[in-house]
Amino acid sequence: MKMNKKNIAFIALLTALIMPVGCKKDFLSRDSSFQATADATFRKSTDVVALVNSIYDGYQNSDLLKKSIWYYANFTTHDFYNYGADIAWNNYQINSDFGALSTFWNNAFITIARANAAFKIIATAKENGVVTAALADRLTGEAYFLRGMSYYYLAGSFGGVPLELKSETDGLTPRSSQDEVFKQVVADMKQAETLLVSKATLDKKDLGRATKGSAYAYEGAAQMWLKDYAAALTAFNSTELTSNYHLLPNFADVHEFSNQNNDESIFEVQFEVSGSQSWDGGWQNGGEVAWIDDFSWPEEISNFGYDYANPGLWYSYQAGDKRKALTVLGPGDQNISPGIIAKWGGIKGYPAVTGGFANGDARFKADDGTIINTCGTLTKPWYGVSDQKRSGYYNAKKWRDPQLTGGTGSQIIFGSQNQILMRYAEVLLSRAECKVRTGDVAGAMADLKIVRDRAFGGVAPAVMQDGLTYDGKASTPITDPLQMVLSEYRHELTAEYSVFYDLRRAGPGVASAFIKAAYGTDATSTPQPYPYGPTADGLLHGVWKTTLPEGRDILPIPQAAIGLNPNLTQNPAYGK
Amino acid sequence: MRKLQIKNLVVLLCTSLTLCLMSMAGYAQSRQITGTVTETNGSPIPGASVGVKGTSIGVVTDVTGSFKLVVPATGTLSVTIIGYASQEMTLGSGSVYNFKLASSTSALNEVVVIGYGTAKRKDLTGSVSSVSAETIAKVPVPSLENALQGRASGVQVTSNDGAPGGNTTILIRGVGSLASGGNNPLYVVDGYAIDGGINNINPSDIATIDILKDASSTAIYGVRAANGVVIVTTKKGRKDGGVQVTVDAYNAFQTKPKQYKLLNAQQWATLANEIADADPQHNFQEFPAWRDPASLTNVDWQDAIYQSAKTQNYSLGIRGGNEKVQSATSVGYYDQKGIVLNSFFKRVTLGSNLDYQATKFLKSSTSIKYTYQNSNNPYGTGALGNLTQLIPTLDGGNKLTNQIKDGNGNYGFYNPLNTYTSKYNNPVYSIENNQYKNIANFLLANTSLEATIIDGLRIKTFLGVNNKSYSGYFLQPEDTRAQTQYGPGAVPGNANYNQHINSTFDYTWENTIAYTKTFGVHSIDFVGGVSQQEITYSSMGGSGIPPNSSIRDLGQVTNLQLDRYGNGESIYALQSQYARLTYKFTDKYLITGTVRRDGSSKFDKGHQYGVFPSGAVAWKAKEESFLKNVNWLTDLKFRGSYGKVGNQGSIPGFQYLALYASGSAAATSGNNGYPFDKIFQPGIVQTQPANPFLRWETDYMTDFGMDASFLNGELSLTVDVFKRRSKDFLLTLAAPAQSGYTFLTRNVGSMENKGLEVALAYNHTTRDFHYGLNLTVSAIRNKLTEIASGTNAVTNFGGLGLTGIGWSTFTQTNIGQPVGEFYGYQSLGIFQTQAQIDALNASAAAKNPSNPFYQKTATAPGDRYFADTNGDGQVTPSDQVSLGSPMPKFFGGLNIDLSYKAFDFNAYFYGVYGNKILNYQQSSLQSFQNRGFVGVENVSLEYFQNRWTTSNPSNVFSRATYNDDAIGSNLPSSAWIENGSFLKLKNVTLGYTLPKSITEKALLSKVRVYFSTQNLFTITKYSGLDPEIGVQNGNATQNGVDNGTYPGSRFYTVGLNVIFK
Repeated sequence: MKMNKKNIAFIALLTALIMPVGCKKDFLSRDSSFQATADATFRKSTDVVALVNSIYDGYQNSDLLKKSIWYYANFTTHDFYNYGADIAWNNYQINSDFGALSTFWNNAFITIARANAAFKIIATAKENGVVTAALADRLTGEAYFLRGMSYYYLAGSFGGVPLELKSETDGLTPRSSQDEVFKQVVADMKQAETLLVSKATLDKKDLGRATKGSAYAYEGAAQMWLKDYAAALTAFNSTELTSNYHLLPNFADVHEFSNQNNDESIFEVQFEVSGSQSWDGGWQNGGEVAWIDDFSWPEEISNFGYDYANPGLWYSYQAGDKRKALTVLGPGDQNISPGIIAKWGGIKGYPAVTGGFANGDARFKADDGTIINTCGTLTKPWYGVSDQKRSGYYNAKKWRDPQLTGGTGSQIIFGSQNQILMRYAEVLLSRAECKVRTGDVAGAMADLKIVRDRAFGGVAPAVMQDGLTYDGKASTPITDPLQMVLSEYRHELTAEYSVFYDLRRAGPGVASAFIKAAYGTDATSTPQPYPYGPTADGLLHGVWKTTLPEGRDILPIPQAAIGLNPNLTQNPAYGK
Repeated sequence: MRKLQIKNLVVLLCTSLTLCLMSMAGYAQSRQITGTVTETNGSPIPGASVGVKGTSIGVVTDVTGSFKLVVPATGTLSVTIIGYASQEMTLGSGSVYNFKLASSTSALNEVVVIGYGTAKRKDLTGSVSSVSAETIAKVPVPSLENALQGRASGVQVTSNDGAPGGNTTILIRGVGSLASGGNNPLYVVDGYAIDGGINNINPSDIATIDILKDASSTAIYGVRAANGVVIVTTKKGRKDGGVQVTVDAYNAFQTKPKQYKLLNAQQWATLANEIADADPQHNFQEFPAWRDPASLTNVDWQDAIYQSAKTQNYSLGIRGGNEKVQSATSVGYYDQKGIVLNSFFKRVTLGSNLDYQATKFLKSSTSIKYTYQNSNNPYGTGALGNLTQLIPTLDGGNKLTNQIKDGNGNYGFYNPLNTYTSKYNNPVYSIENNQYKNIANFLLANTSLEATIIDGLRIKTFLGVNNKSYSGYFLQPEDTRAQTQYGPGAVPGNANYNQHINSTFDYTWENTIAYTKTFGVHSIDFVGGVSQQEITYSSMGGSGIPPNSSIRDLGQVTNLQLDRYGNGESIYALQSQYARLTYKFTDKYLITGTVRRDGSSKFDKGHQYGVFPSGAVAWKAKEESFLKNVNWLTDLKFRGSYGKVGNQGSIPGFQYLALYASGSAAATSGNNGYPFDKIFQPGIVQTQPANPFLRWETDYMTDFGMDASFLNGELSLTVDVFKRRSKDFLLTLAAPAQSGYTFLTRNVGSMENKGLEVALAYNHTTRDFHYGLNLTVSAIRNKLTEIASGTNAVTNFGGLGLTGIGWSTFTQTNIGQPVGEFYGYQSLGIFQTQAQIDALNASAAAKNPSNPFYQKTATAPGDRYFADTNGDGQVTPSDQVSLGSPMPKFFGGLNIDLSYKAFDFNAYFYGVYGNKILNYQQSSLQSFQNRGFVGVENVSLEYFQNRWTTSNPSNVFSRATYNDDAIGSNLPSSAWIENGSFLKLKNVTLGYTLPKSITEKALLSKVRVYFSTQNLFTITKYSGLDPEIGVQNGNATQNGVDNGTYPGSRFYTVGLNVIFK
């Protein structure tokens, strides 16, 4: 009996122990403490603003901006060439596995996805009173703008791409046609036009955010891709553009470091440095907080020199065009950026120059034996230090940040200069093209004149004519209205983020013919000695004359993207 | 009282025999005999039952293994004890009977620990391999994982590197998951299921390791069981009233490892000059000092980094007790210096097991294991791969010395201004000046209370905690030496202080009920229970620039960067119910059913629970009448099982939720914010989409097995064939960016492993001589059967840091092929003439005018010649093919034990056959360019002497060039694939046990000294340092890649085992 009582006691005890294990509720429900759900996150208006800030963030990427959009806009025209790992661009042999294209594709689509996801969260926040209706509108407008702009650059670069417009997708959508994508750009920009704030009322602290004007500018550009020039004109004529944006009187000021977010800029990708500006700084962190302009400076100055200009671009500027020295520097040219002169006194102040000159290095001596203050000399062009494979001509638009020293001296390599994607001069030139297309040649000439007058520092010559042909021959006046606009796209916008887009937009074969006329392109696919000028020494200095092959006016869909979405087809000129 | 538990057998025998002895006093013919029971090596076996067959006469041996017994005139004397083969002797006229028992790890009578219970091996229905303490003790190894290598069929154990405390890959029945870390078995230590390995446990504490392999045996561990379960049981106290004190000690000497033969300074400079002179454009501008090879001072980095090293190990154990209380206490100290400068591993272990039979029906068991670990590996796997790249001269660097370290304590450094030298550092300087600490503490404690309510019905509650904590720092002092000498052009080495602590608190509470009963010819054995486990992980850490090299305080650093995510706490929990029922009919037919229902907090509500059932049958054919009298067959049993088990090991928590995160600050990586008007504003992004259907990986396993023994049990054979189908891998895979994410975690794919496992043992003992052979052989065929829709292959997840163009993908797993096959170009040798290249270019141009090159534009004679496998006229990435599998066709171990009188001998071989190794290190030794960078590096002497030149037209070694990235000779290709088969003599031990006459005087019961060597030789065709290369970073897609792993080397060990009376 004693035993039994004990047994019963144990049964009771242990049963009691077993009970709670099976019964405790929510033992398996735990909260994530390192990252939060939407409900836990968007409780303050600043959080909703932060959600939209992150959409802009997709563009702070050097592979996307420099190695994809900038390369496409400028290498494809042969105005500039690559030195280094990306020389496949120089003869249109770019591969579908070129890594930067994947970054471009991925960042653009992630930007689109962030925008798609934001719509619902902003709407919920508005319903819950977390954000005001006005702020909700502005934020929604920014999301539409950034989605539309992403599709603009995707379609401009690749042709048709998949249209992803919902916040939840498996990402396996096939490509839409190029026109369908640009129609979406128009639709998104029209939404943005109604929702965004006007530049006239934009807070200074919001400089860099999209405005109604930005939306009209991209809507107009997209309408042009769709050949709806009348609609494009309507957009370009919006007072949001015409009243709120202006050409700066002095062309030099457009790209000055001290003059970012200026009155001409319609949309520019913002950068800011933080911490080290050398290799151990922002570059290590994805290049998001630093920019890479000095990579394009002469190797003699920067130790880099990863891209350089076609001498033919230098020759093409009409006499008196002030844009020339602010766009392309050749042997004997000084850097005339006011900021560079103020900081360094010009080229002569850079550590590589003062050091090299002190060591008696001939490359840093002017012809009279004094310290050099030019981008090489006519007798000793700067072809590069490691070899002689650069042209001797360099990009002056990306040589404006006075803080930078390149890979020399104190190694200030990565700067914070914003990158202007769209400015008012392009709107005026695009409007001129629309007017040509719609028969208003006089109107077109008037728009061209505004841009050209500024370029010539007052009144432009009545006759538009290139300085010299690429091979040093006399040029002939440009009289065809469309060709006049194309020539101005090139001379105004080269070395920025637009020219080849604008040329391709003009229609099939236009770009190829334009480049052929400018540079005498032919069937060669290897570099050719330059035929004219101080660099015409019979040696190879990195100038290709390859004709733009049929179909290679658009980029290959990244192979990685096709691998992950078998529904994507490759552009025909790039094989399977 | 007739259904005795084996565990209690000893005690009950003891008790009943005492009674018997008293009653026997009156038998006239009886007489007293004496004797000893020892192991084959002479160690006494206390607690063995000695009895006369067919009678109740018996006794238990004492601490010295001795017994006295009054026996009848005739009869058969038998000795039995768990863990040893029973032995019998016919009673003759002699009065002394000495038994030497052979260990019976394969004996069918042994008790096997299975989940939530034990079973006799002969009654097992599932597939379980066991490794005994004696086997573990044979090889002095730092970690238990190493002790399992080759001991258990179907279990592939690979030492990943030779670093002290280095990690080990254990694959039980092949690769079942593609996820990183997704192939780790579950470890259960004294009943407590733990995450991670068991290298914090002192091998001397182990009583047995049982490895559950098939679904029938593992299913009781449900969602964590797919990769098998390793059950570790530590040594308990004794019930016989005795006390045993054991001391085990050894000292080992580890030799310097094999080294690569590299160029010395003169050879290096000669090669550099030759390459510079061959480059008319001077793209490669060598360092001026190299122009005069004879003037250079040679430095040998391998010689500076590698050293011989000592290991010492001491264990003290006290085990004793009586019927009421049994206690085992142990202390262990292990200290291994590594063969790489300043690497070491120290471990202190304290252990205690206490079993207390409070009343006849109430029993408690407590196990406490504490471990302190201190280890350092400042220059290990990966870094060691870079060692061979270092230029073999420091001339032109530190103006104070061109030595690695001179007599004044100055360290040489490379010239900080020259492009080709500035990237290199003196590793000896870093190793000796950086400060490190890595301390880990482990506490595993559990206690249980078990009540026997009625005969056969037991109820038990079990509570345990597992607390792990880690604390470590790394301090790199500021290094301004180069800047002091060379001015601002030289980049200073910034100071950095990095400190991390983390801890895991894990508790488990389990309540089980068990019932064992026999009704006539029917027996049932049931266990059921409920369990909950909660694991709380918390961590903090960050880094910054310390004010000086003494302050190790994150509070005083500048540029403090706290870890992004992970300064905080996360919790994960499991809640489970389980049951197992075994039914036995007439001792011939057995059937087992097992089920576990597991709920895991890693999944979304409504999808948290999984049910994992299994079933097994066994037929003990030997018990059938038609085999009963077949004398040569001692035992024969057939088994079959099928079941479903889960795997959730690799997935972090909260993957099912849509989660948002604010970006980091402007200056740190991956910021999601953006500046407006030049002022940075934070950003918030969704980091992952909701995935409510995320679930565990599932394995379906089928097993057929046979256990047979012959010749009175001297020869035993176990054969298993199995099929394991794994599906729904929890993989974070690249996703189309159109989804909004470049990576998404999903359940995808399926895989199949088919295998054959054989374990064969033969033991034979004569009076003075014992020999035993143990052989395990396993063959496993793995293939991927499905992967994410729309794709038919996946490349390696993770990169192993292999630099050079094309090396980001070095394996590919294709549907129908094994996991992690090497992937690259098919090398056809070396281009010999320009005409050969021109002809290929011409045919390429015919097929593709826009790119008229067969291989590269710069291809020249002397470059590697790759196959155009797809016939498009050009060598492009699509010509890459699978180049072989890192998985062996067979692997196994052979153990040989011999003993003669006081001498014992053990030899142990381990081998794998039929696998390939990707020798990345070799590709680096044949590249003058520092691939992927602007720079140059040292090469092997073999390459230097045999490389292609016009006068030495090699078809094996390419020409030397400063720009291999453009040339591509060193792309991943079949040139770097080697046969990875090897046979290693892992251990040879010779032991001698001192005669009793000597030990008795010193009041010792046993003293054994031994000498052993590990890794005495390796038979292999592999050209690298060590063919034993495991799965790297726990990722089955990066298996068998030699990227400069920490090499193994030979140990010489002298050891002592002492047992006190």
